[in-house]
Amino acid sequence: MRSFYRILAYVIAAEVAIQAMVMVYAVAGLGKWVEGGGVLDKSVMESEATPFSEVVGFAIHGINGMMVIPALALILLIVAFFVKVAGAVKFALIVVGLVALQIVLGLLGHGVPFLGALHGLNAFLLVGASLAAARNMRAAPDTITAPRTTSPTMT
Amino acid sequence: MPEPKRRTRLRLIVGCLAVALIVAPLAWFWNASRLPASFQITDMGRPDFGGHAGHHDHAGRSLTSFTADPARPADVTVKLVARKEKFTLGTGKRFDGYTLNGQSPGPLIQAVQGQLVEVTLVNETVPDGITLHWHGIDVPNAADGVAGVTQDAVATGQHYVYRFVAGQAGTFWYHSHRLSHHQVAGGLLGPIVIAPKTPLSGVDTVALHHLYGGNRTVNGLAEQSVLAAPGQSVRVRVINTDNGLLSAWVAGAPFQVAAIDGTEVNEPGTVDNVAVPVPAGGRADLELTMPADGGSVRVQLAGAVSIVLGSTAAVAPTVPRPKATLDLLSYGKPAALGLEPANATRTFRYDIGRRPGFIDGRPGLFWTVNGHLYPDIPMFMVTEGDIVRMTISNGSGETHPMHLHGHHAVVLARDGVAATGSPWWTDSLEVGNGESYEIAFVADNPGLWMDHCHNLPHATEGLMAHVMYEGVSTPFRLQGVPE
Repeated sequence: MRSFYRILAYVIAAEVAIQAMVMVYAVAGLGKWVEGGGVLDKSVMESEATPFSEVVGFAIHGINGMMVIPALALILLIVAFFVKVAGAVKFALIVVGLVALQIVLGLLGHGVPFLGALHGLNAFLLVGASLAAARNMRAAPDTITAPRTTSPTMT
Repeated sequence: MPEPKRRTRLRLIVGCLAVALIVAPLAWFWNASRLPASFQITDMGRPDFGGHAGHHDHAGRSLTSFTADPARPADVTVKLVARKEKFTLGTGKRFDGYTLNGQSPGPLIQAVQGQLVEVTLVNETVPDGITLHWHGIDVPNAADGVAGVTQDAVATGQHYVYRFVAGQAGTFWYHSHRLSHHQVAGGLLGPIVIAPKTPLSGVDTVALHHLYGGNRTVNGLAEQSVLAAPGQSVRVRVINTDNGLLSAWVAGAPFQVAAIDGTEVNEPGTVDNVAVPVPAGGRADLELTMPADGGSVRVQLAGAVSIVLGSTAAVAPTVPRPKATLDLLSYGKPAALGLEPANATRTFRYDIGRRPGFIDGRPGLFWTVNGHLYPDIPMFMVTEGDIVRMTISNGSGETHPMHLHGHHAVVLARDGVAATGSPWWTDSLEVGNGESYEIAFVADNPGLWMDHCHNLPHATEGLMAHVMYEGVSTPFRLQGVPE
């Protein structure tokens, strides 16, 4: 359970890096396509066609960001409930919260571009939180021995 | 040591509860969103009587009885044979899509105002079935071509006859309304021009814009040259068959927007160096006079494809998109609307939003109408003769080209600012994010009419409401979101 949690957290961090990579890949492909005479407008943006091959980067970014990463974050949270390590749930909740914020910023960024800039910044926070979650697991002792002081219901 | 054991058990229970808290609502929403295997459009959604008392029942006159006079012989007879096949575009590229009579775009259908048009659609090899919708023409309901609503999809080997009177002169187009987000993109479409009884003078040409898998075309070509003599007047009928707003502009001559969505603009002003926005599904007729000095003129669509007007040796330069965009709210001169919005008998709101959820068991970020996901969206109930006011507001984060079947609506105001130009009659209205349009129309064409977003993938994502006349029923059944 613990190594699963740790691996999940690392995978989320890696996924955020992939998100950045595919975005730049797509934007660079777009630039190259326009240089070669391609015209980008709403018709092209709303078509499901691939005017240049790097456009796949936008699709990956969307699927990863809207489906894969939120699913991974939710699984991390579920796993956290069963990992007997202090802070596991807390870090997972932070990851889930930052993922939710990231989606909101990403979507609203289409209308308010400055929020897109915050989307870029929040990505770093998400990587940091994911790595912190993983490291928290690594640093934890094998079993919980110390009784937790914040459990008044336990008698 | 009983305590750690109890704690472990408690922890497990809390963990399971927490998981259930996450999973159970998701499972419930997923299950609740699933649509029956087949259903009637009248079974789904919430009747909205627009401030009227009324009741909604499923009995009533079948929409199949709303037809053109069956005894009247046709003036224009067309046969369109649809095939799914690989074909060569006018640009020379190969494309795997759909053809009508072996070509895409399909043949130009021409009629004179008042004539009865009869189109026989034959499905030769399209496996999913097809229909034809007459975009912008206020046809009788039985000829509207919405699969699962006004007819069954035409299966391979079958045919369907569309009959309607070409009541309004103007620029229109036809396209499949069966799996439309796929079939329209694949080329199941074509132009239709209804000429006024008094013929227009000068050159008259269609500029149908379509993207075939990323290949941009006008009338199937990358560029089309049209002969026009110096001093001659030219009408270029721009048709946007794609899913997003198209900008059209003219290099080499001032021009007028003579018509929008098949309705003439009243006293259109002459403009220059301005882009005309043509919403998805919309049309704009641009009219210009060829320069007396023999210069050529280029009508550019998105700066990618053009119609070049002039002599065969014409070399018209391309120009970048003008910074200014024509605003139809204040273009042309006011005239009588022919309806009195103050006497509206129904008032509806069509608020477009967006939220995560499930549609038919499919998770995603979907469009909402008045706060709800498909199919829990309004049926706008009207009776014949109603004057209907509708406020379309868009807070969804993206633009939506809204298309009402069977009727033309007039724009009264945008964001609270009243229209001051020519009456702006439209069937395909671009409602930008954060915008709010107030429109009005007369309920004069009984039936069951889709009122949806013409960014066709959005329709599959639930942006697909309908206007429904009380006492009208349909015998047809849907399998999923109508599109």
